Amino acid sequence: MGLIPNFKNIATRSPWIYRINAGSCNGCDVEMATTALIPRYDIERLGCQYCGSPKHADIVLISGPLTVRVKDAVLRMYEEIPDPKVTVAVGVCPISGGIFRESYAVLAPIDQYIPIDVNVPGCPPRPQAIIAGVAKAIAIWRERL
Amino acid sequence: MSNQIAILLAVLLFPGGVFALAFGLAMKGVDRRVAARLQSRVGPPLLQPFFDIIKLGFKRTMVPAAANETVFLYTPLVGVVAMLVAAALVPITSVYAPDAAIGNLLVLLYLLMIPGIVLMIAGSASGSPYGAIGFSREMALMIAYEGPLVLIAAAVAIRTGMGMGGWATFSLNDIVAYQQAHGSFLFDPVMWPAVAAFCFFYPANVGIVPFDIPEAETEVLEGPLLEYSGPVLALFKIMSALKKVVVLGLGIALFFPAAPAGIVGGFLVWLVKMAVMMLVGITAVRLSMGRMRIDQAFVFFLKWPLLLAVASLAVVVVV
Ligand code: SF4
Repeated sequence: MGLIPNFKNIATRSPWIYRINAGSCNGCDVEMATTALIPRYDIERLGCQYCGSPKHADIVLISGPLTVRVKDAVLRMYEEIPDPKVTVAVGVCPISGGIFRESYAVLAPIDQYIPIDVNVPGCPPRPQAIIAGVAKAIAIWRERL
Repeated sequence: MSNQIAILLAVLLFPGGVFALAFGLAMKGVDRRVAARLQSRVGPPLLQPFFDIIKLGFKRTMVPAAANETVFLYTPLVGVVAMLVAAALVPITSVYAPDAAIGNLLVLLYLLMIPGIVLMIAGSASGSPYGAIGFSREMALMIAYEGPLVLIAAAVAIRTGMGMGGWATFSLNDIVAYQQAHGSFLFDPVMWPAVAAFCFFYPANVGIVPFDIPEAETEVLEGPLLEYSGPVLALFKIMSALKKVVVLGLGIALFFPAAPAGIVGGFLVWLVKMAVMMLVGITAVRLSMGRMRIDQAFVFFLKWPLLLAVASLAVVVVV
């Protein structure tokens, strides 16, 4: 039965990424787009690929403090992602609410509603930090396959 | 009996089945790698598409509540099987000639329509509004490009048939043999409009960027594929990889089958032609263009490829 673990190792080389914007200020989203899209940080070489549909995703990047208005949509979207999946919270917003923490309109910390596996702090975090977060997420994902 | 076994082997092993699957996925890997290099990125490993398929095997398949479960889960299978059979119909000069019972251009044309139809059925069975948009776009696009394809095929068949002293012949083996004897159609000025029309057609048929309107992930979130996940999504990826092999192989068989005798030489020449067709017609086109709107694509196809195809048919019949 040595074959299955082998296939699992291969499978971890193809993490597909989906971004959920839970009311972020867009700073983190720009940073995520930059991380993957510009030649300098090219994460396609890790096999990553942004996908348009939550049903294709393996690793979810969530940014933003989870505002009251998007809560239901975000939870529903999270449910749509097939197991095994890993969640990465990008920015300080999902951790504590960041600069929005005292607002009546935000529900941060986000892990009251969604299990978060990796936190990438920063406002916004550097691309290298996001890549490190994704790499951590891949290691966690390997355990869950 | 023995030729049934030969057909079965052709469908399951070479040039269909295992070979076409591996070749199609490898082509996709090369395509992504070259694209990355052209954008001065490192790019994914060459075997990335294989990794993706294996990964999808580990994921769970979800069926949306609004979907018709049977249709939703089994239509992609139809597409994969159709493409496996189609791959066994396409001759490779001096390497593989399809059995006379199946090697027919008309059969191939019908089989080539199936992936489009599968996408439409899958999109509507998923019960998602994005799938429905994908459905209508796929249908419009198919109406636009199937016409030119049929005319191109007719032009080739008539040219071959008249050359052989008859009217039209749809046997792919005859088409290849005729060009082996009389020179490839690519160098025959009478056939140039048909060649040009085919060059417009095949990027659309394999669904790459200017024409991937039904699956545009930035507008309709991958359209018909939106609701698919796990192994069933892998079937769609396999179907499109196989389709690429079939469409490019068809182009080679129709217009430029010239190759030296002998299995190794013939196969190497075929590989080179496939690589050129893919890099020029798919990778370069995909990178240098933006996606068209569905109405633009529709009008585009009804204008240039259709005109060229009609012209080629007229020229072939008259000359
Ligand atoms: S962490 Fe900072 S940059 Fe990121 S969404 Fe919050 S406020 Fe914006």
